Amino acid sequence: MTGEDWLTVALAVLLFVGVVAWYLASLASRLDRLHHRVESAGAALDNQLLRRAATSRVLAGSGLLDPASSLLLAGAASEAVAVGEADTLPDDGGPPPDAAEPRDGTLNRAREEFESDLSQALRATLTADVVEDVSADPYGRDLLADLGAACWRATLARRFYNDAVSTARRLRGKRLVRWTRLAGRARWPRTFEMDDEPPAGLPRNLSPSPS
Amino acid sequence: MRVGIVCPYSLDVPGGVQFHVRDLAEHLIAAGHHVSVLAPADDDTPVPAYVEAAGRAVPVKYNGSVARVSFGPVSNARVRRWLTDGDFDVVHIHEPITPSLSLLALWNATEPIVATFHTANLRSRAMQAAYPVVRPALEKISARIAVSEDARRTLVDHLGGDAVVIPNGVYVDAFASAPVREQWTGTPDAPTLAFLGRIDEPRKGLHVLCAAVPALLEKWPGLRVLVAGRGDRDDALEQLGPALRAVEFLGAVTDEEKASLLRSVDVYVAPHTGGESFGIVLVEAMSAGTCVVASRLGAFRRVLDDGSLGLLFPTGDAAALVDAIDSVLADPARRKSLAEAGHAAVRRYDWSVVAQDILAVYETVLTPAGSEPLEDRNSVVEARLRRLISRWRA
Repeated sequence: MTGEDWLTVALAVLLFVGVVAWYLASLASRLDRLHHRVESAGAALDNQLLRRAATSRVLAGSGLLDPASSLLLAGAASEAVAVGEADTLPDDGGPPPDAAEPRDGTLNRAREEFESDLSQALRATLTADVVEDVSADPYGRDLLADLGAACWRATLARRFYNDAVSTARRLRGKRLVRWTRLAGRARWPRTFEMDDEPPAGLPRNLSPSPS
Repeated sequence: MRVGIVCPYSLDVPGGVQFHVRDLAEHLIAAGHHVSVLAPADDDTPVPAYVEAAGRAVPVKYNGSVARVSFGPVSNARVRRWLTDGDFDVVHIHEPITPSLSLLALWNATEPIVATFHTANLRSRAMQAAYPVVRPALEKISARIAVSEDARRTLVDHLGGDAVVIPNGVYVDAFASAPVREQWTGTPDAPTLAFLGRIDEPRKGLHVLCAAVPALLEKWPGLRVLVAGRGDRDDALEQLGPALRAVEFLGAVTDEEKASLLRSVDVYVAPHTGGESFGIVLVEAMSAGTCVVASRLGAFRRVLDDGSLGLLFPTGDAAALVDAIDSVLADPARRKSLAEAGHAAVRRYDWSVVAQDILAVYETVLTPAGSEPLEDRNSVVEARLRRLISRWRA
């Protein structure tokens, strides 16, 4: 081969390497963005679930429900608050402070069960009649408005979180991403599966009491 | 909250997406939010104060119909400037996969992005060709909204992931209280039907209704069919023949006229043959308290709750349409009960409800720093609890 041929080959190789590098860089930035999305969606979900549990606990202790309902709701809400508080997100993506079980997602697996239990307890206690009775009281109405908003926002946040997770997983599943270990040490994201059906009689946009 | 809304289609052409964007923007502004809408419009086209014109709107054929859109380097530069100047908390992009401002905004935005998917008939061939190009941009969307279960299914099938369903909004009271016009009101001998939509667009199904008119005239000689909508009427005229005397073409109507028309007539007919993802006109007719007869399309079935809020007939079947219309015209009590059931059910599409739901989505995607800190909330919770316990003990 002549010198010109060599130059052509060298240029072609250079171009190829350049394209591959550019593609890998763009993949890396997409991954980074998706991980960020998973994290912030997870934080929003965590926020709304805690809000829902905390409001449920206050409602259970308010004396506005009958004692049996209060006890049922207080039990489920306290469990959810406890498991939620233990599940605070690590700031830097590092391991959580006291990881009793190996973590595979941003939200604790055990939490799915407790939050589902809370959903069931809410549905069992807050029937349409009860909602009507409780919202006759201004304080009760405020609590229900907050609870309804938190239930709806938790549903939204979970939808967005799972959407982010499945998009991230799709990209991370690409062979090129796996071979080049572009995802680094970021955890394999996991969807959050729970029963988030709100009580049928609880409006999600109940206006708070005028005060 | 500072909200930037991107509409891919020119606002001076009527359409579902445009109306939705306009109403949403006005509702949010009335609720005290800062809203700017970016839409294709020539610089000399008059637009409302909250609209930012993105320059030259070009008519192109996309996804089966002609739309006026903006693209190119000039539009791209305007999108960037709008994003920078707007300093938005959230950017809400409508129909993100259109070769228009939406895609440009999606490309350039660094703010949290909410996207609403209106369509249920993405052409899969075009989509598959576009995926590799748009996928990285679509990954930026933090929250996806679909306007109907059908739109959501289309989205999930084509793009994976998930979306929340928040329907299009309607000002229910504007239709419920629209003035009745005598010239459009039916009598027992001369009942009136209404059709709304482009008359030369086959998907709107005027030809199905036209095919049904002759048979209906045999049973109801005084029947009048009021057709509102733009377009070339030649095909319709040819098909009607002698039945033409029963049909009145009203041409394009204003929003007020549309509301009055829907409120005045005995039956609103939606003979669409496909391509509908939601069926906002059905909701508008129900808001006006008018009985609806519609094709059995997935979207219409859901809006009419499988027939409990209006009559459904097999799509495209003119004979079945004749029977359906005849049955409600012959039974005023049934017509009234369907209309009443429909009117009671449309509250959930009212803007007061829909805008709250959309705001909740905005709040969910806002950077968590903007929300109430959890520590505070929990301490408030504890304080309330302690107060209550002490009250019990006392």
